Amino acid sequence: MISLKLGLRNIWKNRRRSFTTLLAVAIGFTAINLFAGYIHSVYTGIKKIAIHGEALGHLTVVKRGYYTEGKLHPEKYMLGKADLDKAMALIRAEPGVRLVSPRLSLAGLVSNGRASTIFLAEGEIPEDSVKIRTGSVRTPPSMLNRDLPNAGLLSSDLANLLGVKKGQTVVLMSSTLEGQTNALDLEVQDTFNTGNAATNDKFALLPFAYAQSLVDTQGASRITVLLDPAHDDANAMRQRLLQKLNAAGLDVEIKTWLDLSLFYKQVKNMFDLIFLFLFTIVFIVVLMSITNTMTTSVLERTREIGTLRSLGMKRRKIMELFAVEGAMLGLFGCVAGLLMTWFGTWLVRIANIRYIPPSSSDEVPLWVNYVPEMQFGSLLLLAIVAMLAALLPARRAANTEIVDALGHV
Amino acid sequence: MSLISLRAVRKTYHLGVTEVHALKGIDLDIEQGEFTAVWGPSGSGKSSLLNLIGMLDAPSSGQVLLNDKPINDLSDDQRAEMRNAKIGFVFQNFNLVPVLSAQENVALPLQIRGMAAAEAEQKAAAALAEVGLAEHAQRRPDLLSGGQRQRVAIARALVTQPEIVIADEPTANLDAENSRLVIELMRDMNQRHKVTFLFSTHDPRLIDKVGRLIKLADGQLVNGEQA
Repeated sequence: MISLKLGLRNIWKNRRRSFTTLLAVAIGFTAINLFAGYIHSVYTGIKKIAIHGEALGHLTVVKRGYYTEGKLHPEKYMLGKADLDKAMALIRAEPGVRLVSPRLSLAGLVSNGRASTIFLAEGEIPEDSVKIRTGSVRTPPSMLNRDLPNAGLLSSDLANLLGVKKGQTVVLMSSTLEGQTNALDLEVQDTFNTGNAATNDKFALLPFAYAQSLVDTQGASRITVLLDPAHDDANAMRQRLLQKLNAAGLDVEIKTWLDLSLFYKQVKNMFDLIFLFLFTIVFIVVLMSITNTMTTSVLERTREIGTLRSLGMKRRKIMELFAVEGAMLGLFGCVAGLLMTWFGTWLVRIANIRYIPPSSSDEVPLWVNYVPEMQFGSLLLLAIVAMLAALLPARRAANTEIVDALGHV
Repeated sequence: MSLISLRAVRKTYHLGVTEVHALKGIDLDIEQGEFTAVWGPSGSGKSSLLNLIGMLDAPSSGQVLLNDKPINDLSDDQRAEMRNAKIGFVFQNFNLVPVLSAQENVALPLQIRGMAAAEAEQKAAAALAEVGLAEHAQRRPDLLSGGQRQRVAIARALVTQPEIVIADEPTANLDAENSRLVIELMRDMNQRHKVTFLFSTHDPRLIDKVGRLIKLADGQLVNGEQA
């Protein structure tokens, strides 16, 4: 009680100095929280891009070994029709599962009759494709149409490369699972931007049945699982489904979207590192500001410390006085920073700033999320840092000999 | 049994390579209820003596006893508790906490003891009334005169009902009239509450107001110190 009273009144008494310290803490707090809000929005965006834009879904079920050996021996690592039907039925029965859809990946050559180039394609059930791909930051302007079984979407740079437009026909050539060359006509239903410069000149989206015909199979290379928003803990669902499918005799493995999205991991690692760097700077600024302020305070109040000690105050209580004052400075600075963070977030939102991220071909809005757990966590952490910063000068105050302190001028 | 006893007490300060012998073997007894002044010129060892009796400092050798119990070997916390319970202090520069009101300053030693704020402030108000400062209870020290500040300090020293009040040059920063008033107030408290007062001074005008005079010169008691 006495610590709080003395702390508050000394902060007010030295309000000019206190204001400078509070401002340093507040600006530091605002910087880390605005950046945390920004990267939170980036993580949310790239998670959506991974799940919906890259169409990874929340979970991907494949035959065990598919990711290591599947490219060399696709025929051995395809899910056959019986396994596919059985697995899909079991997954659909699990509460929290919104969509289960088979997928077929393939590659080959695409030709306009005069020139050819390579393509990478995904065979998707048109109505499922709409559900999976809706919800991304970047929604393709056109979707596969179940009423057009021989029509697909070409990425815009690929279409430009071949000089084909909507409504024209190209020929897709690929190997069947038995190694025979197969070719089918494909009507260009529409073109779209993949959002990734590296894939926008070779990607095609095909109806699942068309892709099955091209590689001559009844099976699929994998099953994509989309979860309900209320049950989107992909790891927990992965464990449950894996147990269930293995128990049913299906030799499968399951990857989460996080396992498969290298882009997400790279971006997250980069931003986490930048955040750590920024936080370290703020940590040092707060530490030095509070230490400097409290050192000055201890020096100015040396005689007061001697008086309090002569009145019977113990050394640890003297330490507490200054530690509480330091913590209060930190706390008030963080509260001011919290208000500045809310204002800054609002300002960024209404400014409607847009930018093109690296390796992207689309503009995205610069958005800052409110992250209450981060804001209150950093408030608590910086208040503790401020208290720790005050401990060193407080310790010096407590250890001053009473007679020396009383004689201090 | 004396309230305070000093046995062969020496105090030496080390200033670099120089040793300063502030007290050179003091033997002294102070009884309950005395109103005693320690008189001597600057550098005679008055403050050192008061600091040792007030447990603000430790002797280089010899023993200081409070109620016949040695205090040399007490821990820092035990000495703090004993200062709070048994000793009141009045300082030359008043040493009031500038951010607290007069009443809060007086309540401070009670709150340090752990008394609830409301009860401590009630006792502080009564102590301030006793020194004639009831109407200034809510004022901060910077709005009080020197004499008023010293009366607040006296109220703070007495609020815990100590066995002894130690005042180091309590009138050094006061004019003649305020010096007289402060000494009379201390004397009045000494007689009404039977609390022992021990104060240092080098002001010859105050000597005839004390019950006992201890003369110090060059760190030693001067013969015939009894007034």
